[in-house]
Amino acid sequence: MSDSKQATAGIKEQAAWRSKANSLLQNQTVLLAVTLLALGLFFNWGSGGMFLDLGTLGTVLDDWGAYILLAVGMTFVVITGGIDLSVGSTVSLSSVVAGWVMVGPMHADLSITGSAANPYLLLATFICLGVGLLVGAVNAFLINVFKIVPFIATLATMGAAAGMAIIISGGMPLQGPNNFDLGLDWKIGDFQLPISTTVAVVMVITIIAGLFLHKSRFGLYTYALGSNAFATRGAGISPEKQILKVYLLSGGMAGLAGAYAYIRLGAGSPSNGMGMELYAIAATVIGGASLMGGVGRIFAVALGTLVLFVVQSGLLMMQVVEVSPDLKQVIVAILIAAAVAVQTLQNKNGRR
Amino acid sequence: MKRTTRVVAATAAAALALAGVAAATTPATAASKLKIAFVMGAESDPFFQAMKVGAQAEATAENVDLIWQGDASHYDVATEVPIVENVIAQKPDGLVLIPTDPTGLQAANDKAIAAGIAVANVDTHVGDLSKVITFITGDNGDGGAKAADAIAAKIGYKKGGSYQVVVGLTSATATTNVGRLNGFKAQVAKKYPGIVIKDVAYSASNPQTANSNVKNWLAKYPKLNGIFAIDGTNASGAAAALQAKHLTGKIALVGYDAYPANVALIKAGVFTALIAQDPAAEARLAIKTLVAYIQNKTKPAKRDVVIPNVALTAKTSSADLAKYTYVASK
Repeated sequence: MSDSKQATAGIKEQAAWRSKANSLLQNQTVLLAVTLLALGLFFNWGSGGMFLDLGTLGTVLDDWGAYILLAVGMTFVVITGGIDLSVGSTVSLSSVVAGWVMVGPMHADLSITGSAANPYLLLATFICLGVGLLVGAVNAFLINVFKIVPFIATLATMGAAAGMAIIISGGMPLQGPNNFDLGLDWKIGDFQLPISTTVAVVMVITIIAGLFLHKSRFGLYTYALGSNAFATRGAGISPEKQILKVYLLSGGMAGLAGAYAYIRLGAGSPSNGMGMELYAIAATVIGGASLMGGVGRIFAVALGTLVLFVVQSGLLMMQVVEVSPDLKQVIVAILIAAAVAVQTLQNKNGRR
Repeated sequence: MKRTTRVVAATAAAALALAGVAAATTPATAASKLKIAFVMGAESDPFFQAMKVGAQAEATAENVDLIWQGDASHYDVATEVPIVENVIAQKPDGLVLIPTDPTGLQAANDKAIAAGIAVANVDTHVGDLSKVITFITGDNGDGGAKAADAIAAKIGYKKGGSYQVVVGLTSATATTNVGRLNGFKAQVAKKYPGIVIKDVAYSASNPQTANSNVKNWLAKYPKLNGIFAIDGTNASGAAAALQAKHLTGKIALVGYDAYPANVALIKAGVFTALIAQDPAAEARLAIKTLVAYIQNKTKPAKRDVVIPNVALTAKTSSADLAKYTYVASK
């Protein structure tokens, strides 16, 4: 009698453990964090101890900052079941418009250096944000009014924005103030942090966006729209209004990514955003968002973006085995496929 | 859509002009002024804009009417072929064609020749050049060699020394990249055996990617002596990386393409040198050769002409800098 009781208790305990372990493994964030740690250690070994150097981490974070802005906007869009292919071109267009304003009306050039450049960079940021919002509004207009599916609507604006960037710039980088120091040397005592001011700002934006998605009514409506658009309308939420807001957000974030590129390179070039939309989508999916809609978390996407660029930089830093740039492309592609496959399997197990 | 409108407008304008000429002037003067057309891929490309400046100058000097036609932004066979067809309908005496594809533009090229138009190819060429009067191009291999010379000069290359350089590419297959890289490697092997090319990486045409590639290299190779940024995109990304890491002037940086923004950075000491093509010279020579052929039936002594690249450095005269700097459209 007592034996069987004990056995039952044992089984229960085991089951509890197993479910705890399972849920831990099924936790996107934990999985991504473990992956990051493993990759970091692997690349540090492979690069002869140079990967976990603050300079290298700073470069990884530079890339992370450029792409997380897009990935955050993309997460909102993807949760509604949509997609925004125009974000890369929006980066190009907005940074070109900022460059054009600097070179043209503002007559700002290389003679403006150091902190004297700050007001110009702030102006550039607002210009980029404005351009991004405009592209987002056009996307929402095409989707809401003409009922064009997001893939095609944003494919159209992707082409239009890229073309306009070339026309405005004449195909060349437009350079305003170029030599400035936005506090790239953050120190605590003698300890140099790998974070630039721009990356710190991007981190704050990402956290705010996360709170917005997970804690606000706006976030709730976004999930609702992606889960069941019909029921959403029934619940008295206007899908059109929500679509407008979400694509404005994505466009605005792409505009900020344009400002980020402008500040990073000191120039607005029509190729500043070349191909970025694809990596933004990949980062979003690695972070666990579902292209079917209804699923996605900002923190996990932030980690997913980090994974992508740890691999990009890590492969270049490899010295134990040199990885050719061609092989690098293949490895990144396999990694993306593997990350998505793991998540699909997970969801199968988790949603019983 | 914009292109179509423009082509229609251009055709209409040409038709009107012809009608006007027929009505108002004597046929003799109308016939004496030659008409030469230029057709390229993406009109907005700064390379073609620089070419346009040369073409206009030569057209004025030779008293030739110039028809300048290309798609606004697409470098594409599908958009270029109909433009060539439209231009043939305008019956020019000569056509300078910059084909976007060697096979895709062959038929349009041959159709123009069959219509009695003297055809030249510039920069790129069609597969079968047998009926083309001249083919004029820049020399990417020579540009790569000049880049090696510029890096060697900056790092004070000495026999027996050991030096590290890296090369930023856009992709493994872009023909200009391949030509420049091969020229660079050949020159290094021949004249600077102490220079080791440690690594190459791709930017996929994004200057931000080029920027992180260079920053990672700076960490990976603390003794790096030089960077060859093989095109405008890589040049922009590398310049920003050296500035952010406060390494300007300490590491030789040779870029490609004379964008005004990058030319300004030669003076600021960021670029050791920029290798520039001379598209204006290509255009001038093409028009000169065609005019000579149309008027006197004299073909050039050699059909294929290669115009060398130039290395722009801080020592280059400001007149030469102005001459080679690409001009923005509009």
